[in-house]
Amino acid sequence: MRAELDQTPRSLLVSERSSFRDQKTRIRAQVEQLHFNYKVSVLLPECCSAPPHLDSIFNTFNSFYLIRNLPVYELLDKNFLETAVYQGSVYGVSYRTRIDEDNCVALTPKGHLTLSLDKDSFEILGVEGKPSRFNHRTKCRFVVSVDLTDSSMAPGGRGYQRLLTGLRSRLQLKTDFLLSHYPGGGASLQALLSRYDWSEHRPQISRHTLTDLSCPALLTSDLQSCDPHSFMEWVGAVDANVSCENSSSSFLSSLVCPEPRTTVSRALSVSVCGLLLPHDVHRLIQEIRCYLEQPHLESWVCLTVHGYADSPVSWGDNEHSVLKGGENFYSLLMFQDDTYHLHLATGAHDTCPP
Amino acid sequence: MSVFMDLNLSYTNDKSRMQSLIETAAHLGYSTVAINYTYELTIKKSKVPVPTPIKDLMEKLPIVQGRCRPIRVLNRLTVVMSEQCHFKKTGREFSAYDLLAVQPATEKLFHVACFTLDVDIICISVTEKRPFIIKRSPVNGAVERGIMFEVSYSAAIRDSTMRRYTIANAVSLVETCKGKNLILSSAAEKPLELRGPYDISNLGLLFGLSDGDAKEAVSSACRSVVLHGETRKTAGGIVHTMKCCSETPDQQEAPPADCEAPAAKRAKQLTE
Repeated sequence: MRAELDQTPRSLLVSERSSFRDQKTRIRAQVEQLHFNYKVSVLLPECCSAPPHLDSIFNTFNSFYLIRNLPVYELLDKNFLETAVYQGSVYGVSYRTRIDEDNCVALTPKGHLTLSLDKDSFEILGVEGKPSRFNHRTKCRFVVSVDLTDSSMAPGGRGYQRLLTGLRSRLQLKTDFLLSHYPGGGASLQALLSRYDWSEHRPQISRHTLTDLSCPALLTSDLQSCDPHSFMEWVGAVDANVSCENSSSSFLSSLVCPEPRTTVSRALSVSVCGLLLPHDVHRLIQEIRCYLEQPHLESWVCLTVHGYADSPVSWGDNEHSVLKGGENFYSLLMFQDDTYHLHLATGAHDTCPP
Repeated sequence: MSVFMDLNLSYTNDKSRMQSLIETAAHLGYSTVAINYTYELTIKKSKVPVPTPIKDLMEKLPIVQGRCRPIRVLNRLTVVMSEQCHFKKTGREFSAYDLLAVQPATEKLFHVACFTLDVDIICISVTEKRPFIIKRSPVNGAVERGIMFEVSYSAAIRDSTMRRYTIANAVSLVETCKGKNLILSSAAEKPLELRGPYDISNLGLLFGLSDGDAKEAVSSACRSVVLHGETRKTAGGIVHTMKCCSETPDQQEAPPADCEAPAAKRAKQLTE
């Protein structure tokens, strides 16, 4: 057997420490750049029920729409471009399409339309595109990236016509599509929704109370309590409800809480799932900061945001794919003194997070 | 990457078992499967089995888990060659099958299969200790022609001795072909012998493949095999003939405009 067997596929972890009061803090940009968030989970130690202000933030996350069998050329419709895309607040990603098997579509708020296509679909579409960065021996995946706000893609222009003809008559790409926009952004999706089978969904919220949770002793942000890898493993274990006891009689998990550790008598874990917008994540972060200003037994809160595993783009407009796992997420550990530790992680087929 | 495929599900006469095999494959995430009929060339009077039409096997094909499309089912024939026999290249019986595979038992037959036979897949035996040394020259010849080598894993699930043979034979094949032109498939007889595509790509790591090669062995390489099988029915990979229902004789037509890929017979282009 070769020595490579003990190597796992590459993963990237970027860790950063800063303060919300620091003028050079990039937290806002880093949150904004992960456009398509699938899950937000918050771990509140020494807490059995969420305080009302935090609860209201969870309950007021934006709802999103699921359109069944949307022909992708509709995203180039003149009316949709004027009422939604040019306003700059529309997020859309294809649903139930696997990034390493199918054709995937993403629409970012800046008006970038990204199509991740397999070889046959790309050749039939006949539009300029690049081979995927993550092709192995053979070029079997191609990415077509179009800026809909650019003058070359204005309705009636050559580039626009070519893409529209390609999607309408040559490729005829149809997918289920998740669409959302933040209110007050000026976008109106009603014209597009009314033409197809659509349904509105609220993000699903679930709450778990954990008792006797052993957690790393995170006293203040200055103390070098544990290394980022073991901390991320522990956060993941708590989120997935995996035991960190490592008892001799159980072979299911050998994960342990990093040392030095304390025991917290109770903790609350809240998760929200759906197509969540960075705008709502930012509101949640501000509310958690207000929560931490009041005195508590434990002076930290951990927030984890997961991106979609099958989205064609992850941070910014960087290409994303799946080798064994398509993780792209970040974990924000916030402290009472407005300081934070931010850990951004991606899998093998991804670019470095910002 | 392309969709995941399992190109070897053993055929049995038990219709309900075939249905549960196909349903399990769809549940695990395979978008295309091929039902494998085995034909022994030694038994001279045996006829090539006629494949059961898919419509008779299953009325409604199950939807692949996590996607919107139903699973695609193909027919495949594996010819077990254990002595020098005439292998009819253009036999009409073979045209009913989408894929053609051959399992050579001796080195001479392996050499013949790699250089001359018009097949899509060459199966490597996993149920016995390596019957012959796989040399680089016939392997390179087969790679030039676009033929894939197949390793099946369900024997490894059934028996621990077979597990040793499977790993040993697969490791020696991977060393010779350098991870190219290899597909991994199940040869499953029961639904419990099927494993998910990511699990099989991890199994490929045990055989000495790299991460990318192992994933390709379950996806892109299988796609190349299916395209190779399609072009076997064409003339030079460009023209195919269809019998018209009307009284006029066979007409030659260019492939229809919605053809899946601009298939070519030249081996190097096929593997892209």
